[in-house]
Amino acid sequence: MQTRIISLLVEDHPGVLTRMSGMFTMRGINITSLTVSPCETDGLSRMTVAIKGTESELEKVRKQIGNLIEVVKVVDLRADGAIIRDLCLLKVHTKDSDTRLEVMLLAESYGAKIMDATLDSVIIELTEEPGKIDRFVDLMQHFGVKQLFRTGLTAIGRD
Amino acid sequence: MAKVKLSGAKIVVEELKDEGVEVAFGIPGGVLLDLYDVIYKQEALRHILMRHEQCAAHAADGYARVSGRTGVCIATSGPGATNLVTGLANANMDSAPVVALTGQVVTSAIGTNAFQEASTFTITMPVTKHNFLVKRTEDLPKVIHNAFYIASTGRKGVVLIDLPKDVLSDVAEVDLHPKETFAGYKPNIKPNKVQTKKTAEVLANAERPLILAGGGIISSDASEELRSLAELLGAGVVTTLMGKGAIPENHPLCLGMAGMHGHLYANRAINECDALLALGTRFSDRLTAWQLDQFAPDATLIHVDIDAAEINKNMPVDIPIVGDVKLALYDILKWLEKKQKLGGKSVWLQRIKEMHSACEECIHDLRRAGSSLSDMFIKELSIILDDDAIVTTEVGQCQMFAAHYYMTKKPRTFITSGGLGTMGFGFPAAIGAKVAAPDKKVVDIAGDGSFLMTCQDLATCVESDIPVVVCILDNRYLGMVRQWQELFFDKKYSHTGLGLTPDFVKLAEAFGCYGERVEKPEDLEGALNNAFESGKPAVIDMIVGKDDKILPMIPPGGGIIGMIGTERCKHV
Repeated sequence: MQTRIISLLVEDHPGVLTRMSGMFTMRGINITSLTVSPCETDGLSRMTVAIKGTESELEKVRKQIGNLIEVVKVVDLRADGAIIRDLCLLKVHTKDSDTRLEVMLLAESYGAKIMDATLDSVIIELTEEPGKIDRFVDLMQHFGVKQLFRTGLTAIGRD
Repeated sequence: MAKVKLSGAKIVVEELKDEGVEVAFGIPGGVLLDLYDVIYKQEALRHILMRHEQCAAHAADGYARVSGRTGVCIATSGPGATNLVTGLANANMDSAPVVALTGQVVTSAIGTNAFQEASTFTITMPVTKHNFLVKRTEDLPKVIHNAFYIASTGRKGVVLIDLPKDVLSDVAEVDLHPKETFAGYKPNIKPNKVQTKKTAEVLANAERPLILAGGGIISSDASEELRSLAELLGAGVVTTLMGKGAIPENHPLCLGMAGMHGHLYANRAINECDALLALGTRFSDRLTAWQLDQFAPDATLIHVDIDAAEINKNMPVDIPIVGDVKLALYDILKWLEKKQKLGGKSVWLQRIKEMHSACEECIHDLRRAGSSLSDMFIKELSIILDDDAIVTTEVGQCQMFAAHYYMTKKPRTFITSGGLGTMGFGFPAAIGAKVAAPDKKVVDIAGDGSFLMTCQDLATCVESDIPVVVCILDNRYLGMVRQWQELFFDKKYSHTGLGLTPDFVKLAEAFGCYGERVEKPEDLEGALNNAFESGKPAVIDMIVGKDDKILPMIPPGGGIIGMIGTERCKHV
């Protein structure tokens, strides 16, 4: 099993997202992450889809995506040739001032921002590549993560 | 072109006419009143009133497969659209070009669970090549043009257009007949020259070349090219169910249909060949069976298909070619014609010859020991009907008896539900076939179980004067399931018995059709003549045995050379 990131330019029509997710369901593929946003061209949207599967499953699904009428362009983004980012917001439990300080120091060392703090919790924002976010979240579990939100990843090819 | 001011309904009809649509199969409804008001009393677009929306879709499908043009069906919102779904899935699975128009509640009521509201757009998404929900009248010209373009190009399929009531009744100023298409839809039809050259070399050097012809040959009208290639190479030809008719089945190089219920020697040839050229087929599980190591184990496998997503989907191949099969065959033939010598295949040709004659003997020998009434009736039918006659089939035993024993000579004359396996398909498909080809005889080879699923459209045949003949292999069982229960489930015939009703002759007569019962295959010709001479739609009730089995077959889990029930075959 491996994860593949596919970047798509799609027509900005109602139903495109349903069509896309329906196609994954139909072909038995699990989506790890899917984001949709406007792009540089009017009338088109960019979708970034991360899917997990074997090489041959992923190849099949890439072709099925290409068959969708509203998909204008399909780009396969290899991890080494792309800049990949995910945004994470998490609320970490801080039982006392020592913990709060420790959490804030660790957050700083990861390049995360403190968005809010109360006496018993801190809200942190971290925008990073997904693996680094995973490690940061694991670390914060040690203190107690009350809430976790991730946007799903977006990616851009280097060339 | 100057802008014109028209109601949505008028735009729809104008665009349909511009796309060359001459006939539509449909049923009106509340939200379609505006559309049907425009269809009323005009000559250019013939509308055939069906008695069930499923039949409207199957009729459009049958029409498309026989004519090669896009079939059109119409249904109202809610139940009309949901009834259509089976027919759409069927056509799409078999890559038949169909455009479906459905009514929808007014745009302001969408999502309110209004009367006869269903989310047709989302329901039909997985069973269509593409679909549209039109929100503005001014979008209609572009949507309709693209619907036909998408349905009839690349890998053909179904496109549905959902039309809210107000989109049809509102007036808009539009440019009719736009040519603009979608940036993301560019069907890849030109095959790669390097790949076709490589293919020609493999085929020229092969000692035992075989061609597997699928439905793609028929939908791209490539029968001539297929035949030229087979004859030039001295290659055997086997077909899929959908490819039946791609080459005349009495052609000396043709070994008939391969697969689970195929001919013994079609399957043997797949196992024995050293180069397999697969054309316009998706290697369905009913073709390959389950032991893939028995499927062309010694062969270089070449796969030509217009849909890139089919390459390496079900079968790993050595040489993939994406493109129109007719163009690919043309290129391969060109490369081969440059070769000096293509000989050296005499041993294989001899083998094909003996396999072909063994197969023909089984098919033609009407009273061959072990023959069942079912196969004798179909053999009779095969002899009685002329080469141009169109046969449609229902699904199950009747379908496989037809596939096995009805000898198809021309493309677009054997119409069957291949992928979805829809019982009830054959009869409404025959209606569409007869509308597409009114001068040809059209016969539905039916089973009693299948026919009961859509027989209400006998009313359509009578009222719209569409004289098709339904020949029922009547065993009062869901025969194929019963056969599996007999062979693989200890003869426990769970819920496959259908009882004794109805009397199909009286049923036919109740609708105003001609009906006749035959108990002996030799009486079929007389009954068929009576049916054709009556000029009416007709039902011929052919009484067959409940134990009749369609054999040989590949049992579940088996491979292409693991057929059972081969005792009756001639062995060579």
